[in-house]
Amino acid sequence: MATVADNQSLLPTEMLGKLERMELVSRKIFRGRMKGERRSKRKGQSVEFADFRTYVAGDDLRFIDWNLYARMDRLYLKLFFEEEDLHFFGVVDDSMSMDFGNPSKFFVARQILAALGYIGLCRGDRVKLTTLSGSNAASPAMRGRSSLARLLGSLENMKVGAAPPMETCVKNFCLRNSGKGIIVLVTDLMDKSGYESALRLLVAREMDIYLIHLLSPEELDPKLTGDLKLVDCEDGDAREISVSSHLLKRYQATLSQFIEQARSYCNRRSIVYIPARSDQAVEVLINQYLRQRGLVR
Amino acid sequence: MSWMSALNAWQWLLLGLVPPAVLLLYFLKLKRKSLEVPSTFLWRRTIEDMHVNSIWQKLRQNLLLYLQLLFLAAIIFTCLRPGWDGSSSAGKRWIFLVDNSASMRATDESPSRLEVAKGKIRDQIKTMQSGDVAMILAFSDRADVRQGFTGDKRKLIGAIDSIEPTNRTTDIGEALRASAGLANPGRASFGGVNDVQVADALPATLYIFSDGGFPPIDDFDMGNLKAEYVPIGRQVVNNVGILAFTAQRNDEVTTQVQAFGRIANEGDEEVSIVASLYRDKELLDAANVTIPAGEEAGVNFELNNAIEGALKLELDVKDELLIDNVAFAALRPARQLSLLLITPGNTALETSLQTGALAKLAEVSVEPPSYMETPDFEKKVEQAFFDLILFDQCSPKKMPNANTLFIGDKPPLENWVMGEMESPIILMEWDKRHPVMQFLEMGNVRIYEGFTVQPPEGGTVLMRSDVGPMMSIAPRGPFQDAVLGFRLVTTKDGENDVNTDWARKRSFPIFVYSIVEYLGGGITASAASTVLPGQPMAMSLSVRHDRFRIEDPKGKSREVLRGNQSQIVYTQTDEPGIYKVFTEENPNPTEIFAVNLFSARESNPGAIQELQLGGQEVAVGDSLMFGRKEWWRWILMLGLFVLVVEWMIYNRRVFI
Repeated sequence: MATVADNQSLLPTEMLGKLERMELVSRKIFRGRMKGERRSKRKGQSVEFADFRTYVAGDDLRFIDWNLYARMDRLYLKLFFEEEDLHFFGVVDDSMSMDFGNPSKFFVARQILAALGYIGLCRGDRVKLTTLSGSNAASPAMRGRSSLARLLGSLENMKVGAAPPMETCVKNFCLRNSGKGIIVLVTDLMDKSGYESALRLLVAREMDIYLIHLLSPEELDPKLTGDLKLVDCEDGDAREISVSSHLLKRYQATLSQFIEQARSYCNRRSIVYIPARSDQAVEVLINQYLRQRGLVR
Repeated sequence: MSWMSALNAWQWLLLGLVPPAVLLLYFLKLKRKSLEVPSTFLWRRTIEDMHVNSIWQKLRQNLLLYLQLLFLAAIIFTCLRPGWDGSSSAGKRWIFLVDNSASMRATDESPSRLEVAKGKIRDQIKTMQSGDVAMILAFSDRADVRQGFTGDKRKLIGAIDSIEPTNRTTDIGEALRASAGLANPGRASFGGVNDVQVADALPATLYIFSDGGFPPIDDFDMGNLKAEYVPIGRQVVNNVGILAFTAQRNDEVTTQVQAFGRIANEGDEEVSIVASLYRDKELLDAANVTIPAGEEAGVNFELNNAIEGALKLELDVKDELLIDNVAFAALRPARQLSLLLITPGNTALETSLQTGALAKLAEVSVEPPSYMETPDFEKKVEQAFFDLILFDQCSPKKMPNANTLFIGDKPPLENWVMGEMESPIILMEWDKRHPVMQFLEMGNVRIYEGFTVQPPEGGTVLMRSDVGPMMSIAPRGPFQDAVLGFRLVTTKDGENDVNTDWARKRSFPIFVYSIVEYLGGGITASAASTVLPGQPMAMSLSVRHDRFRIEDPKGKSREVLRGNQSQIVYTQTDEPGIYKVFTEENPNPTEIFAVNLFSARESNPGAIQELQLGGQEVAVGDSLMFGRKEWWRWILMLGLFVLVVEWMIYNRRVFI
């Protein structure tokens, strides 16, 4: 369901300046792959002192603390914090259900990932964007501000399509991407087989997980009247309803329950659950909403 | 609790179909518009416990359906008109007398007076309570009980609907007597020891729906009846009607026919009309007639060609009563009687049969008594060849198949009592009312000898003498026999000895003409008879035929058998027009008569506003009582309409 809004740019130029001043926040410290700007678990050669340890044969003699040897008459090695890059995984749900709303949820999801990815690029993080199903070609790992064009290109190439269950998709994602880091998953969680097992897989990877639960206004407040046969765009499942105020109230209750369940599930597993509306401007979403939720600063 | 159906069977059937239709609409409503959504995930969870796919579960949840079905149940319940039989309300008894005479065809009340009367009675029947009973009588010149006492409104309304206007005159007497018989004790019963009351004699209210155009009823006692008169129609009605119309051959110029009509103007304005004379559909003549208000005028037509058949006089006027604007007349077909005189010789009689008038009327054969022995006579008598046989001074061995007159001889008739010859005979009285004896003066007739003639039961004595009946007439099956107890002459050896001087008197040829006219079949008058619609027409037709076919003005034929009657009486005369009587072998009509509404009372259809019965003033019915209109049908329709609108609004979701 492509709309006029879908043809807009994923990342407006005026946003770029603001995004360059932001930084992705990781609640955990991960090992990076390359030298970067983030403190790593690994001890290395930065200027920041970390610890001492006893010298063992084979250690680099350059890191022996000679002053301490003079006082203690024993050899100690001086350790420093290492600064490495951060892995940022942006995953967008590319199931058919994401192609609804105006602008579509899929478009908004890609806007969010473009913004977050650009923040990562500016901070020297290792940014990798992919669809949940993996059917679209995943972007290569990108670093540096100069990769913005590639980042946008890879996002624009993403299309919605028939997707396997979420659990399968996440499993495949985990197999393809072994590193640890921040993962931002933008999805509507509309998976009839359930999202819990999929999220469990991510939690097992000990990644810093952010779940942006993106819902369209049509889902949050359906403007339906009459007697309808609702057809699921993904599996063709049909449900017949006679819309009444009673039914709509029941739907709202079900929706609230659904959101609350997701929030509760995520909170219990240290997943940051961020509900979002697809009709919200992406500038507002990034600058205010995600900042409040602690994903960026 | 009592129930009274307000609807008939098919209306119930239609109403009974509505609740299933409402249920059906709810089922059909399940055919829904298809809409693609991102996921039915949440909807499925929402409606999971509502079981939308289960039809009955859905209906269980549908409050609107219950309300609609409840609404329908209330409507159906209302149509059953539930109520309680109160002990205090004794059932009323109503008798509705509906005038369906010709004047009720008047259109001063739209569409016609009869329809207005029927409508009023229908309204009144609808107001009947449980326990009330009513009876319907239609009357014109006779009464017809259309429906006996019943509380079944459908039967009563059916009886009212079946009442059709007639062309007859009005006589309320019979209808009143029928009503009184049911309302007054002792009126309707059989005579004798075992006197049985045939109906419950209970007080009743008698409603007379009429224009009052009937003769006054003075000898009638209301008794238990409480009468109310509901006048139908306006007091003054513009109507022009034909009161008489006849056609007659000119006696002097036999080829000329005179037609005369009398026309009355009953309106309050002078009218100028055209009266047209038709034969079949051919216009023969026309005349302009101007009639002042409330007066009569005549029209006279002279037609030069001898005309047989039907004449129609038609008034070119559009008034409130059309039936009296047309009248019919006919000239009888010319036909000669076949007459046989058997005499040994009677100059006076033979001379009387040769007058010009009789020559036109009959073809006379004269034969001697020996002719009775011939096979020719026997054959002709067997075939009823003769209309009339005169036996002078002789009689046959057995009675012939013909009307007979025996002069001075005793016929072989059973049951007749003939006396011995007596002399002299003095005539004392003669029946001047009888067609044979009218115009006769017998006081100056002298008779030498004769015998008494006592007819059997059913016969009539025409002349009575000092010794007893001298001339009598009596029917014999289809024939009539007359016996004169004295001879005119006694013939011996060809010489006539005079027995009476009657033959010299002026009354004798008149008697001969009258007896020939009467016994010959009474068809001498050239103008055909006319009767009022519905009145019986008695015809003396030729005795030579037993079977006749009578064709009415619409061309419908009815077979009539003579049986043992000398006269044929035909009663199916409701339709005004010309009736033709045919015999089997003759394609031309042997007799013709007309039926016309020649009634000054019916042609003056102004409704009488006050009515007297038996010298008592009859209360004029309160027309407001009959003006009740029931609205429940419209309310019922409104209810069903509301149901449909409610359904539409519900489906369109104007309001959730």
